[in-house]
Amino acid sequence: MRPLRSDHLAAWSRTFAVQGSWNYSTLVGTGIAYAMLPLLRRIYAGDPVRLRDSVERSLRPFNGHPYLCAMAVAALGRLEQDEVDPETIERFRAALRGPLGSVGDRAVWGQWRPICVLLSVLLFLLGASPGWCVGVFLVLYNVGHIGVRIWAYVTGWQAGLEVGRLLKGAWLESWAERLWPANILLTGGVALVLADLVVSNSTVALEPAALLGMGAVLTLIAFRFPRQGGRVAAVLLVLAPVLWLLGGLVG
Amino acid sequence: MSWSEIYLGPGTWIIAVLAGGALGVDSVSWPQVMISRPIVSATIGGWLLGNPMAGMLVGAVLEVYALRHPPFGAAKYPDTGPAGLVAGASYAASGGMAIGALLVAVVIGWGLGWIGTVTVQVRRRVNERIMSPAGALAGNPELLEERHRMAIWLDVLRGGILVGAFLVPSTLAVSLAVGTAPSELGRYAIASLVLGIAASAGAAGRASAFGVRGWPLILVGAALGLLLVWGGLV
Repeated sequence: MRPLRSDHLAAWSRTFAVQGSWNYSTLVGTGIAYAMLPLLRRIYAGDPVRLRDSVERSLRPFNGHPYLCAMAVAALGRLEQDEVDPETIERFRAALRGPLGSVGDRAVWGQWRPICVLLSVLLFLLGASPGWCVGVFLVLYNVGHIGVRIWAYVTGWQAGLEVGRLLKGAWLESWAERLWPANILLTGGVALVLADLVVSNSTVALEPAALLGMGAVLTLIAFRFPRQGGRVAAVLLVLAPVLWLLGGLVG
Repeated sequence: MSWSEIYLGPGTWIIAVLAGGALGVDSVSWPQVMISRPIVSATIGGWLLGNPMAGMLVGAVLEVYALRHPPFGAAKYPDTGPAGLVAGASYAASGGMAIGALLVAVVIGWGLGWIGTVTVQVRRRVNERIMSPAGALAGNPELLEERHRMAIWLDVLRGGILVGAFLVPSTLAVSLAVGTAPSELGRYAIASLVLGIAASAGAAGRASAFGVRGWPLILVGAALGLLLVWGGLV
């Protein structure tokens, strides 16, 4: 039986919880099965044996970006409705895992989220109230977030087996490639303004020009060697209160 | 400000624990609308203790640190929801003015974020048990739904416990730094945080760059930031 609009809505809304039972055995597989259930119940209404088989297939290991898992849920549901043979479904699942993960990671985690976060921090540093900054961040980010989920689900259902081909060169990838320069510009700008805020709020005498120079050099080194740069950043972060409290103790 | 001036009543603590549950579950389990980002969670923490501005300042510093940990693939990243709330609330409770308190609050937020990561890994192992055997779940879809929802509620519980356990000790620890007078070593402390922000920004920039070719852009961004500062816009 063909799923109703309400079944699609239920499956789509369940994709928000697709990582709810993430575990090291099936990764996001159990979440995919949970999200697909409204579709599978309709497709296999009155046929408990086939329903059981399809749920068992859906429970198998799967991974992908959580927002783009909506595409997998819809596409796999479409294959079940079209009575595609189980071997093809399994191969399709395996083929979808890589692209769904890499495209989503690069576009959403790599670009969209940092840009929204940095814009919000910049607003705060420019003097906007915390309520506005948080509101702007949540609205801006989630317009993109929910838009991606809707697009992913609709595309997955319409394309079915063809979804992997559509994902290559999709607008998400080209967006990610266009957005990264803005992301890096914002990172540099926000870091400098935030550092200035810390310095100007402190009651100790500092040499801003020397700090600026050292900061610029350290930024470039960390950019070239991000893993080591990250470790240095963590050490400096922990060192800061230790030095402060030690200074207070020894007078 | 002394310890006796900080008031964190049971009502505020309970609300903070409930908020911690909501922030803890958002990061991974449901619904991922990013209220778990430090810029939001620390502001909520500050707001709960009457000073959202202080919370947001802590959140902004934590963001620069968190941005270098995008959750690509199997990468580990700090669980910033409950941690941001605790750090923001602690700094707000201390008055939100003393720079020494800011340093301590940020380190608490960062450390608690990584403690949260360990609890996330433990929860994933627990999920493994909850969501098995697959055969039983496939034969009983209602059981699958029930177990999946149970796993999500466990994540709520995890976030609540983190906030409940760490809020009071963190607030006391941050307040310790409030009365500390600036000293010669204080200069190095501030310099350490500023250079930490610079290093973290460099690593974060690389995480979003497509290769190393974007390095001049981060300097251009910093130069634009400098213009904002010199222009008196910030």
